[in-house]
Amino acid sequence: MPGADKETDLSERIEAFLSDLKRGGSGTGPLRGSAETARETTALLRRVTAQARWSSAGDLMEIIRKEGRRMTAAQPSETTVGNMIRRVLKIIREEYARSRGSSEETDQQESLHKLLTSGGLSEENFRQHFAPLKANVIEAINELLTELEGTTDNIAMQALEHIHSNEVIMTIGRSRTVEAFLKDAARKRKFHVIVAECAPFCQGHEMATSLSKAGIETTVITDAAIFAVMSRVNKVIIGTQTVLANGGLRAVNGTHTLALAAKHHSTPLIVCAPMFKLSPQFPNEEDTFHKFVSPHEVLPFTEGEILSKVNVHCPVFDYVPPELITLFISNIGGHAPSYIYRLMSELYHPEDHEL
Amino acid sequence: MNEEELVEYFRTQMRKDPDMASAVAAIRTLREFLKRDKGETILGLRESLTWATDCLTGVDSSVAVSSGGELFLRFISLTSLEHQVTDARHIVSGLHTGTDNSGLQRLWCTLAAGLISCCLSQDLSRCKKVMEERGELFLEKISMSRAKVAKLCHTFIKDGAKILTHSYSRVVLRVLEKAAAEKKRFSVYVTESQPDAAGRQMAEALGKLNVPVTVVLDAAVGYVLEKVDLVIVGAEGVVESGGIINKIGTYQMALCSKAHNKPFYVVAESFKFVRLYPLNQQDVPDKFKYKADTLKTVQNLSDEHPMIDYTPPSLITLLFTDLGVLTPSAVSDELIKLYL
Repeated sequence: MPGADKETDLSERIEAFLSDLKRGGSGTGPLRGSAETARETTALLRRVTAQARWSSAGDLMEIIRKEGRRMTAAQPSETTVGNMIRRVLKIIREEYARSRGSSEETDQQESLHKLLTSGGLSEENFRQHFAPLKANVIEAINELLTELEGTTDNIAMQALEHIHSNEVIMTIGRSRTVEAFLKDAARKRKFHVIVAECAPFCQGHEMATSLSKAGIETTVITDAAIFAVMSRVNKVIIGTQTVLANGGLRAVNGTHTLALAAKHHSTPLIVCAPMFKLSPQFPNEEDTFHKFVSPHEVLPFTEGEILSKVNVHCPVFDYVPPELITLFISNIGGHAPSYIYRLMSELYHPEDHEL
Repeated sequence: MNEEELVEYFRTQMRKDPDMASAVAAIRTLREFLKRDKGETILGLRESLTWATDCLTGVDSSVAVSSGGELFLRFISLTSLEHQVTDARHIVSGLHTGTDNSGLQRLWCTLAAGLISCCLSQDLSRCKKVMEERGELFLEKISMSRAKVAKLCHTFIKDGAKILTHSYSRVVLRVLEKAAAEKKRFSVYVTESQPDAAGRQMAEALGKLNVPVTVVLDAAVGYVLEKVDLVIVGAEGVVESGGIINKIGTYQMALCSKAHNKPFYVVAESFKFVRLYPLNQQDVPDKFKYKADTLKTVQNLSDEHPMIDYTPPSLITLLFTDLGVLTPSAVSDELIKLYL
């Protein structure tokens, strides 16, 4: 029967995605970039909207929340999955409000104003059925997918405003966004890049190879040399895994050191982060914030004698507080870290912060 | 309702429920005043409400009472404005059906007359009814605000944390209650907070929750900060810049926390947001700095000790309000949304 086929097909795809996520976090470097994860999540959610059985916006939101919880449980450190789910939930709320004809319900956030003027304590329960809702939601998700596809290019387009000739730029590890950013500027400007190798995975090496293929003068340094070299650097440009709700970062380990060195020398720290990396989490959840992987990268298992006597840790992420960051460059332009709360309120609804 | 009745009602409200915020008591009193008011126009209503708020600040000169009163006044203006606009719309739609192009001037005159009549007694009673209902709802919502704040804040208290707090704050107490209910183990240092030793009251209340608490001298804040993981304080008022006005000694605590790199959290309900923008300690108006009886009796205020101080936003890490977790820069956004 065609209906049952579609449902099993859908659940198969979701299972495949979940196992992909679980494998991707095994620690031998990211097997997939965040952009691909975001795109796949959104495509999957579009499929769920199209194929699952639901009659009102409330049902659809419940289904998406359920799938969302499973996906975030599979790989808690991959926050883009949760972010995309929250974006889709916000889209559903907006489309529902538009179908109901609520005129200026653009501000769905809590505010003092709403507190004073709203007529009732009744909560929106999203139970009404609207025929064109499905088509509208799918169209909005398609727009979201188009936006996702253009993010790296949008960020790279802003490169020429920030990078000038004969500058020395420092970066750490490998970020595809920063790579595209620097390559775009290299088409018109001549500058020098210093890449910190970011042990123990040493992704900085691949970054340096890729940049030098594009004709940029590149130097690779060890993480210990960051402070020593910082006095000769004009700007620090980095990518990040997540942007937190207070404007801080969860970035690859070594970034906090880089940020502190930059602050000490008053060197501007620019973070290239597309909008889908913005997450409504605060850095207080110790248990889900850090991710530790196998320590054999730090101290290989061949060193058995030493291993039995010491504790070895290999954390993947670092927290960078917002005071150390100068500018965020995202696909919608440049922002100060203190402005992040505003972007958060535009992208997500407060009730979706907890899935 | 004259001045004595007003003050008596306010005092009764405060006595009946010592856990209630003074701003909430003020709003309740003003709502009662509204019910009993025999004014004929909305303008008159606003004037008498301003007079009533002044009387209340004469009893309790804290920032919270003043902000509560201003919020209620704003609520009245917004409701009456909404009511006028809907009435005007009805009048226009009613006129539109029975007029032709040449009657445009007649239309404008009738519209103007209609608007003026909105301010007269026939519509005032309807308006007042709406205000009373909305006022009831508003009070219900803000009575839940402390619970919302506690829900947001308790996740930032980790197991084994050492917390420093200042003086007696019912919101902080609520947050710590919630954290204790979630089976988190933490210990608290409270400053004594002279001149009224309110910190001891806080220590007593925490002792009842079986939380290990130590009272420290106000001067010992710097000494104790190296042992502490985070600092949580309440606020009497949250100003437009995102800074706070709170019991004297808070600024000192914030400066020391910044020097030690400890997070400084503020918990406050949203009705404490006030339209002030002090640039330094002197900018805070005298009427908030001293107790109401001091203001009335003492001639030379420079000899008195201020009861509050201003903490600038650069020293505050995060603000926990019932509108969500806010960075100090988000506070002015909220205020703009309300007042503009």
